[in-house]
Amino acid sequence: MAPRAIVVGGGAGGIGAAGAYKGAQPDGEVIVFTEYEDAAYSPCGIPYVHGKEIPNFEALFLATKEAYAEQGIDIRYETRVASLDLEAATVSLDGQGEVGYDRLILATGFEYADPGVPGTDLDGLYYVKNIRRAMEWDKVLDDVKVAVVVEATPLGLEMVTALAHRGIETHVIDHRPWALSDLADPEIVQPVEDSWTEMGVKMHYGVTLEAFVGDGRIRTVRTSAGELPADLAVICTDKAPNTALGTAAGLKTGPTGGFIVDNRMRTSADGVFACGDCVEVPLGVGNLPVQGLSGSHAYSQGKVAGINAGGGRREYQPVYVPWGMVAGLWMIGGVAYGETVAEALGIPYVMGTAQGISRARYYPGVKSLKVKLLAEPASLRLIGAQMVGQEGIKERADFLAMAVKTGITIEDLAYMENVYSPPIGALNEPIALAAQNLLATL
Amino acid sequence: MRFARWLRVNSEHYLLMAAQRDVATRYGQPCRQAREGLKGWFFLRLFTPIYRRLPWRLRAFVLQSMPGSHRQTWAARARQPLGPAV
Repeated sequence: MAPRAIVVGGGAGGIGAAGAYKGAQPDGEVIVFTEYEDAAYSPCGIPYVHGKEIPNFEALFLATKEAYAEQGIDIRYETRVASLDLEAATVSLDGQGEVGYDRLILATGFEYADPGVPGTDLDGLYYVKNIRRAMEWDKVLDDVKVAVVVEATPLGLEMVTALAHRGIETHVIDHRPWALSDLADPEIVQPVEDSWTEMGVKMHYGVTLEAFVGDGRIRTVRTSAGELPADLAVICTDKAPNTALGTAAGLKTGPTGGFIVDNRMRTSADGVFACGDCVEVPLGVGNLPVQGLSGSHAYSQGKVAGINAGGGRREYQPVYVPWGMVAGLWMIGGVAYGETVAEALGIPYVMGTAQGISRARYYPGVKSLKVKLLAEPASLRLIGAQMVGQEGIKERADFLAMAVKTGITIEDLAYMENVYSPPIGALNEPIALAAQNLLATL
Repeated sequence: MRFARWLRVNSEHYLLMAAQRDVATRYGQPCRQAREGLKGWFFLRLFTPIYRRLPWRLRAFVLQSMPGSHRQTWAARARQPLGPAV
């Protein structure tokens, strides 16, 4: 009988795993259970549809339901897995009995951390995740005059920008001191916040959320600094790993709350794999477990899990987390450690910064680009970077992630070659300038 | 595991709070932070100063000793660049 894999979760990790399992085990059976109406769409694009940059939600779907069926991937929509029995190798479905498996892959993703205040049952609170709900909410936004975004996390930054772009009076509240302050350094984020001010966004930092207030529907958001009127509250709290199913069955989790996995995405139970936002993986520099990365991480972890579940062999490597985003009128990005996080951990570092440009200085459309590099003091190997500019951030973040991974030094970067072509590259590469400035401080 | 999780959540939160304050001061940026209660007092007034006084090697040892995925089997670090292939 053909071996059967069950995948719980139909997001990037789950669909990646299902496809990879089918590739490794062409005669095998793979069933994906998702509690939602859809699978395999890009939730990361939702803020950009709300902000009218992407014309419609249909563009976010990766493939049609029929396409997956043709590939032999059996997706059971609106089917909730209620529990796991790892000894019997079965999953129990809500109202539908049990299904046995030979291999189990958990891709249960995340849940937004509970705001933990009164009023979360009011209408008018939006958790950005499900595309069908997003389609409904997009119509609601047409009548929203004032919105409050709760927490300036990566999603928070995107939603603030989207709502302001849409002409909605937008407030963002956070107990932390600046946007994205658990990841990005203050001077990196400053241009974003300045552009938000230009867009009419009101920022409220160092305030604690106390309650959502209303009569059936939200009217105000109460904070430690007073009440803000609100037709809508967008909840952008941290992404907590959704591990309830697995932990109830005895799977081990780590200090981030995500499932403990090895480099083949194997959990603490034989024949059970996990991937995506529900797992933790090591950061390659410092070797600390991290959780809640990007859709591209979830998808590649899913492929590793699927190949290994299908009898193949693929190893996932520690991550270095290149990141980047558009917020306000700027792009920000980085790799591994920024100055604030390095200070928090107490990692020794030396640092260099430079203000450069993205194209030849005389070429129309040239944009400024600030680069900050951190290096280990003795070896001068790169351990992190942060950047802010209006173009060229993503490519540099990808490159610097590989630089950190391979142990490239500040000296390598200071004398690196770079593309010089007036429309796309300046004579002096900002990364090289930052490295040269770092060397000058030694 | 519950202790490791509790320690991670709280030490991360408060070490970041202290670092945000210091880095913001360094750049002359405002740093409004939410008020913290007794737990905040412990982590900001006792834990963080003690943590900062420990040598990095000892801190790294403690961090590595906590249970988690990082202690499972992972691929070896990518090799250093070796020079031209041909």
